[in-house]
Amino acid sequence: MIWQIVKKEFLLSLMTFKFAVGVIVCIVLTAVFVPILARDYEQRLRTYHENVARDEAELQKVKVYRNIRPTVFRAPAVLSVFSEGLDKRIDASATIALGQVPRMRGAAAQGNPYQSIFPVFDASLIFRIVISVLALLVAYDAVSGERERGTLKLALSGHVRRSTILLGKLLAGMMVLVVPVTVVFVIALVILLSFPLVDLTSSDWGRIALMYVASLIFTAAMYNLGLLFSCLTRRSATSLVLGLFLWVFFVVVVPNGSVYLASQRRSVESRKALDAQIATWRKGCDRRARDSVTMEGDGSQSDAEDAFGSYYHRKLEGAAMKYYSAYYPIWHRLSIECADKCWEIERGYLAHLAAQKRVAADLSRISPICLYERAISTLAGTDEGSWQAFIDAVGEQRKGLIDYVRAKTDDFNATTLFTPYTQEQMAGLQREGQDPPLNLDDLPRFTYRSVAVRDIRRAIPDLGLLAFTNLLLFALSFVAFLRYDVR
Amino acid sequence: MIWRIVGKDMLENTLSLRFLLSMLLALGLFVAGSILFLDRHRTQTEDYWKQANENQSGLRERCDKLYRLAFYRQEVLRRPGALAFCAEGSEKSLPTLFQFTMFTKELAGAGGRSNYILPHFSDIDWAFIVSMIFSFVALVFTYDSICGEKEAGTLRLMLADAVPRYAVLLGKYLAAMLTLGLPLLVGMLASLIVVASSPDVALHPTAWLRIGVLVLLALLYLSIFVLLGISVSSRAAHAANSMVILLLCWVGLVILVPSLGRVVSDMSLKGPTQMELERNLQEASRQVWDNRDQYGERAGSMSHDLSWPGNNPPARARLRTAATEARNRVLEDHHDRMLAQVFAGRNFTSFSPAILYQRVAEAVAGTGIHHCVTVYRQIRQYQTDLKQYVHSVDSEDPNSLHLIFDEEGCAKSWQAVSHRPVDFDTVPKFQEREPPLGESVRSAIWDISLLGLFNAAFFAAAWISFMRYDVR
Repeated sequence: MIWQIVKKEFLLSLMTFKFAVGVIVCIVLTAVFVPILARDYEQRLRTYHENVARDEAELQKVKVYRNIRPTVFRAPAVLSVFSEGLDKRIDASATIALGQVPRMRGAAAQGNPYQSIFPVFDASLIFRIVISVLALLVAYDAVSGERERGTLKLALSGHVRRSTILLGKLLAGMMVLVVPVTVVFVIALVILLSFPLVDLTSSDWGRIALMYVASLIFTAAMYNLGLLFSCLTRRSATSLVLGLFLWVFFVVVVPNGSVYLASQRRSVESRKALDAQIATWRKGCDRRARDSVTMEGDGSQSDAEDAFGSYYHRKLEGAAMKYYSAYYPIWHRLSIECADKCWEIERGYLAHLAAQKRVAADLSRISPICLYERAISTLAGTDEGSWQAFIDAVGEQRKGLIDYVRAKTDDFNATTLFTPYTQEQMAGLQREGQDPPLNLDDLPRFTYRSVAVRDIRRAIPDLGLLAFTNLLLFALSFVAFLRYDVR
Repeated sequence: MIWRIVGKDMLENTLSLRFLLSMLLALGLFVAGSILFLDRHRTQTEDYWKQANENQSGLRERCDKLYRLAFYRQEVLRRPGALAFCAEGSEKSLPTLFQFTMFTKELAGAGGRSNYILPHFSDIDWAFIVSMIFSFVALVFTYDSICGEKEAGTLRLMLADAVPRYAVLLGKYLAAMLTLGLPLLVGMLASLIVVASSPDVALHPTAWLRIGVLVLLALLYLSIFVLLGISVSSRAAHAANSMVILLLCWVGLVILVPSLGRVVSDMSLKGPTQMELERNLQEASRQVWDNRDQYGERAGSMSHDLSWPGNNPPARARLRTAATEARNRVLEDHHDRMLAQVFAGRNFTSFSPAILYQRVAEAVAGTGIHHCVTVYRQIRQYQTDLKQYVHSVDSEDPNSLHLIFDEEGCAKSWQAVSHRPVDFDTVPKFQEREPPLGESVRSAIWDISLLGLFNAAFFAAAWISFMRYDVR
């Protein structure tokens, strides 16, 4: 019996005007959005490659060990086409310096701060906005509409149980809505793959499969919401209005309101005091290093430009050589120590930012649309957790660099730390032309790939909550339908 | 006759569930938004005055010698607008801290309490509520205004009488605007009560005038959606179909088109990066220094001992001034390019009435990007004023070399600028001024007329569709 109901409902919904328009709009939007997004991705990827190449070229020019200060970049995530997340809000570059622990920074400071007025734009908008409203439109008259037409009375006068009817409606609705979700995914992927620079790895495919599942669960949740209203009201127009108002609340009010509320109720400190504190620490460290060694006597010296905007000593004689040989080891040890101290201060500030974000996320959980958005951006590797993982990897890279320089310069004691020449070579040597750069082939280069398993594990709570919403809504509509007056 | 239709429709609308829901939603949002606004306005105002006082006391302290005053590096925050509860214009994530000396200014930075790991969001301000929520409510009120009556059979009855069609159309339009205006005005009133009763916000008479203009603009904007609703309603055969089409129109105009901005702005113009700026600055300064001899002999060499024969103060002044000018040019150019990039994205999306409306509201409320641009302009003006002041005071001192250029060391050791004390009260101080309302409206006139054009277009569409509507 249930399959008969499913079949009937499926065919009825499939033939409706709203469904046809909805699917056409989804197809058109996908065909318009995905090429734009893919081109944007390609552009970002090209910029990334340029940046990496420039940095590598600069690295090849370094002449002394203390000047190894590369900037590393995070490759744009190809799945940011589906969910932009924080990709354009967080700086995708980080400088690895001996005396500074890398931290997450806003993109506005490095790029164009005025661009922060623009909202996010990605393919998941199609799901969040268009398919969610389509699900509501398919569901709103499922029960109340049948009552108005009088067919519900007829159906129930047979030997059909109410639970069968409701279950049949749910199954049919899901079967109908699988169509646009699948169509959007297939078209998006086909378009995406037609771009030459887009390369999907097997873990990307796994993520996409999960996104597909997440989209289905989300669509089901919106359908169940519509079904609940349909079971609660006697007229389909009423259930439509109720459903739409709630939809607007979920889609417009909650995502903006929750963040606004969180940003007001849990205000973060201004960076000014923090920066001043850090600057004082650094100054103190510089002073301590200077005070610990004094230059005795005279010594001539000359500098030359090095990579990464720094300089190195070309000529150091007599007292100058003695002075710097003593100064630099102390200074480097102190500055690494100071970096850890500054990081302690910085960490408190970052914890504040994260706490504010967490409050906003918790508040937004009342909306299935926000749950879905978060789940998708976690799966795409563009949420703040995966950015944190990137920054942590950069931090590890810095530790590797410190160890490397330590090993190469005999724990900062060798003169190669600040000049390409040894003391003996310096003495009275006339040097013409360029100094040879360091051979940094054995320096570990930075590579970062986000770990799919970790991202997926982070997405589980939101996905679980979304699935639970489904169950809850269906249970509620079940109760409401059992008590429904079909006359 | 029109008024009878208006009366009937209004009665019907106000008794409906959708009216109740929109009233509740509007009141809740307006009140909650204003309360949150007060919270933020308080912290922002505190921060602003703290910074302003620090800046003033620094200025006062440096009045002991004119040259110290001339090289004072000022830091001011963008002033939080009292009308930000009407249209906040993403100011929270725009640059707030402006640092400048008499000679040059830095690019504005984020000095506030912004949090970059928060997703992009919009404040619950009037512009947001009107452009997102009320545009939707307008469609909910009008989606069945014509076809619903046809389905109920009452349209046929009404037109069987001697009622002309235009009267029905106008009546429906007025009724929808009035029923929509009710929750809107009630909500705005509630919000104003919350804001005006707080001691932290001072609303001047001109602010009230601006609020009045904002209310009118909100009605102009909503009228677009009412007309859109009526025209689609008089095209569709069933109310349900009309709702589907209207919803998709709304989604497109209010959500999808505005979100294209970032991508368009990224793709149309290549954004200048910080790295590029640093390279350009280095290049500009290198060019000046490489051609240092054209500013006079020995311009490149300098010793703090004025009697040293290698010194050539006028040449040095010319060189340093040229370097400062080159630097300022690069900075200005960078800033202009950043603005151009953003405006490219924003102008592209302006075929959405929601963006037009938000832009107009920002202009009238004096917030948003244009606020930043205005502060920039005023700082430039202030720099000229201060320079003039320093010139005039300096010219009275016979001991000074009367060479005002951007090198503090020389001013100190050579007495290139006077070392006399100055009277703090006569020193010009930077004070951000709000542009007059007339200027704000004039800057938005193009957008306002576009809103009007949208109205006209949708009115024509509604008119034609309804005149040709088959009422059977």
